[in-house]
Amino acid sequence: MILFLQSLINGILLGGIYAACAAGFSLAFGVMGIVNLSHGDFVMLGAFVTYWLFVLLGWDPFLTLPITLTLLFFLGLLLQKLTLNRLTGAPPIMSYLLTFGLHLVLSSLALRAWTADYRTLNPSYAGLNFNLFGLVLPYSRLSTFSLALILIFGLYLFLYRTEMGRAIRATAQDGEMARLLGIRIFKIYAVTFAISAAITGVAGSLVAQTFVVYPQMGLPFTVTAFCVVVLGGLGYVPGTLFGGVILGVFESLATTYLTAGLSLVLTFLLLLVMLILRPGGVFGKGALE
Amino acid sequence: MNLLECREITKRFGALEALRRFSFTLGKGEILGLIGPNGSGKTTLFNVLAGIYRPDEGEVVFQGLSISGMAPHLICRRGMAKASQMIRPFQEMSVLENLLVPGMYGGRLGFKQAREQASKILNLVGLEGLNDVPSREISLSQRRQLELGRVLMTGAELLLLDEIMAGLNPTEVEGAIRLLLRIREEGKTMILVEHVMQAVMKISERIVVLNHGEKIAEGRPEEVAQNPEVIQAYLGRPYA
Amino acid sequence: MTARIASKALVVFLALVALLAVLPLLGLEGYHLRLLSLVFLWISLAGCWNFMSGYTGYIDFGPVAYFGAGAYATAILMIRLDLPFPHSLALSGVICALLSAMIGWATLRIRGAYFAIATFAAAEALKQVSLEGDRVAGFEFFGGSHGLTLPPPPASEFFYYTLLGFLVLVVGISFFIEKTKFGYGLKAIRESELSAELSGVPTLALKVKAYILSSSLIGCLGGVEAYWLTYIIPDDVFNVMRTIQMVIMTLLGGMGTVWGPVIGAGFLTLVAEFLGAKFVYDYLTILGVVIIIVILVLPRGIMSLVKGKRGEAW
Repeated sequence: MILFLQSLINGILLGGIYAACAAGFSLAFGVMGIVNLSHGDFVMLGAFVTYWLFVLLGWDPFLTLPITLTLLFFLGLLLQKLTLNRLTGAPPIMSYLLTFGLHLVLSSLALRAWTADYRTLNPSYAGLNFNLFGLVLPYSRLSTFSLALILIFGLYLFLYRTEMGRAIRATAQDGEMARLLGIRIFKIYAVTFAISAAITGVAGSLVAQTFVVYPQMGLPFTVTAFCVVVLGGLGYVPGTLFGGVILGVFESLATTYLTAGLSLVLTFLLLLVMLILRPGGVFGKGALE
Repeated sequence: MNLLECREITKRFGALEALRRFSFTLGKGEILGLIGPNGSGKTTLFNVLAGIYRPDEGEVVFQGLSISGMAPHLICRRGMAKASQMIRPFQEMSVLENLLVPGMYGGRLGFKQAREQASKILNLVGLEGLNDVPSREISLSQRRQLELGRVLMTGAELLLLDEIMAGLNPTEVEGAIRLLLRIREEGKTMILVEHVMQAVMKISERIVVLNHGEKIAEGRPEEVAQNPEVIQAYLGRPYA
Repeated sequence: MTARIASKALVVFLALVALLAVLPLLGLEGYHLRLLSLVFLWISLAGCWNFMSGYTGYIDFGPVAYFGAGAYATAILMIRLDLPFPHSLALSGVICALLSAMIGWATLRIRGAYFAIATFAAAEALKQVSLEGDRVAGFEFFGGSHGLTLPPPPASEFFYYTLLGFLVLVVGISFFIEKTKFGYGLKAIRESELSAELSGVPTLALKVKAYILSSSLIGCLGGVEAYWLTYIIPDDVFNVMRTIQMVIMTLLGGMGTVWGPVIGAGFLTLVAEFLGAKFVYDYLTILGVVIIIVILVLPRGIMSLVKGKRGEAW
């Protein structure tokens, strides 16, 4: 029983991070219809920024979050203006291929700059745990989970309570109408993509405190983000939290009770089952067209 | 037997009821006009008929067979095809080639037959001579003609025409009306959704009016135009 | 392409094939023989990828799944069941067909994004099966990270002709697609899927068929490679680089055309060979940059220059 609960808790904590990774993906998709295959590389870059600031300057990973946020925001803005902006109105194929090209460039430049070595972040509180009735809850995992929640809730507040957020949602629902209402949709697209990159970068910081950091870690996270979004519903930001937790719990339980070696296979099978039975996500609110 | 029967069709999107217990019948050879203010459910109805949406309640019976929830391509092959102002041509293909696809698939023609039929249809809709022109280079009204050609190539008996006159100038509208009458002479049955009032009233034998997903009036164009509920639904915009 | 240019190209192609068929008899051997065989392999792979992604517009990011599956299937059939190569190869093709039918049916019913990522995930999942399958199941089957060793292969000429044969097959199928009802249906799906559906095209069935066609042939090519290399490991036959190269070769040459993959693959294989292993890190960066530039500047690839129009992609 303890094993089950521990596994469950691990999965939930993991799921928060997965959800944070996927939120930006869902946002970019919902507003611009762009499926960003280089998404995971923003996770990777956020992780590396955090890592280097810690290793070179000794700055605590939680305190450097605003820096990661800002840096990735501007990177996203730059990339959008240089490349994706020209694809507005193009068929989706183009964005898959373009972002795939971006992925190759980002991951191989990272590889060139930082070598393929695996790196881990080891702040002083790394090994400390909180014990609850025999269940082990590492402090770092608890805090990253809380931050993930704050991140997603913050995104939700931004989208539903601020003027910019409303403009973004209006553009997502009906670009033509938004333009007629005076919203400058190209600016919205740029800002949305930048926000997506920024929050994904922060998610990357959280990832750096939980997982190993290396240049090619991006692609698996793109797939993870995608799985979360399939579970929660593509384009439906609130669903990403649940999607993340479901995926986290599934992976955790599968690793504990079935086998660690085939986790990718099991996740893939879960994905297939979801796509066959409920492509709109658990809540059925995902975009299918 | 009626060609088409809609029985109490209801379609919801979340909390919004786009169509509410909508019923009507259509006989062979009729031209029916479907009008109503924006958001009244006209496009939703067409999408239900064409198979893009499945009705939550009610039934669609075409040629005596229930087709609710059937896949769009199967409904097309059965004889009901939708033409829309939103649909783009197959841009990499020439004008003629665009018609090969509906001919071979919807119309179940062989390659050679499809080519011949396509030529004939191009003449009918007024695009003769444009056979090899890339379809992305034709004008808006030509695209509408091509779209009409597309549904004709499927061999469908019942044509659902969704705002195909949108954006046309008055001369083009006149041309479109003449074309539709020619098509009716070929034995086709049509339902028109249009905002171009003058055209709908002129060409339809019968009008059905939708508002908020419900049928609020049905009858000959002159009758419907006088109906106070209809006038009110359009917020006092009179039929000119 | 007008009919006249098309048939001219066909004549040139057939003449080239005839010439290539005769070369070994004239003394072509060793390094050059193997290099040309490699070119044939990549042209075939790119051509197969094109059947699906080029013609339907649904981008397949996991073709290497079938390359690896075919390699492993052929290897296992030959090693553990002692089946001769042709039988193993054919059976591998069937296995890949079944696998792709399943995955295709599940993922092609919704928008292309799902298909794109699901196919990538499939490739990674299959790679993991070959790496970890033995450990999990508890017996020796896939060989884990040590891989499998196949029976000794015949001389290089065998592979030269086999791969040349595949090349002709793939180009032939492309021609067939271009000129028939099937091809028009696929292209209609790419151009405007809703319109196709409303014109009577059974879009799901056609997409799945194209995917099965593409994947089963890629599987066969994987089988040939396995026999040729004699020794296969997961990191090689399931390597995402193969996917990347298939994508970029077709993109560069021109997606959805008969000659695009031929030009793109031929060109890129020779370029990669002559640049050698010199620019390993930079190679990926360059490939990425090439993809980006092609998408922004020449989305229809080299073929659009040949056809005389730069062609906006949309």
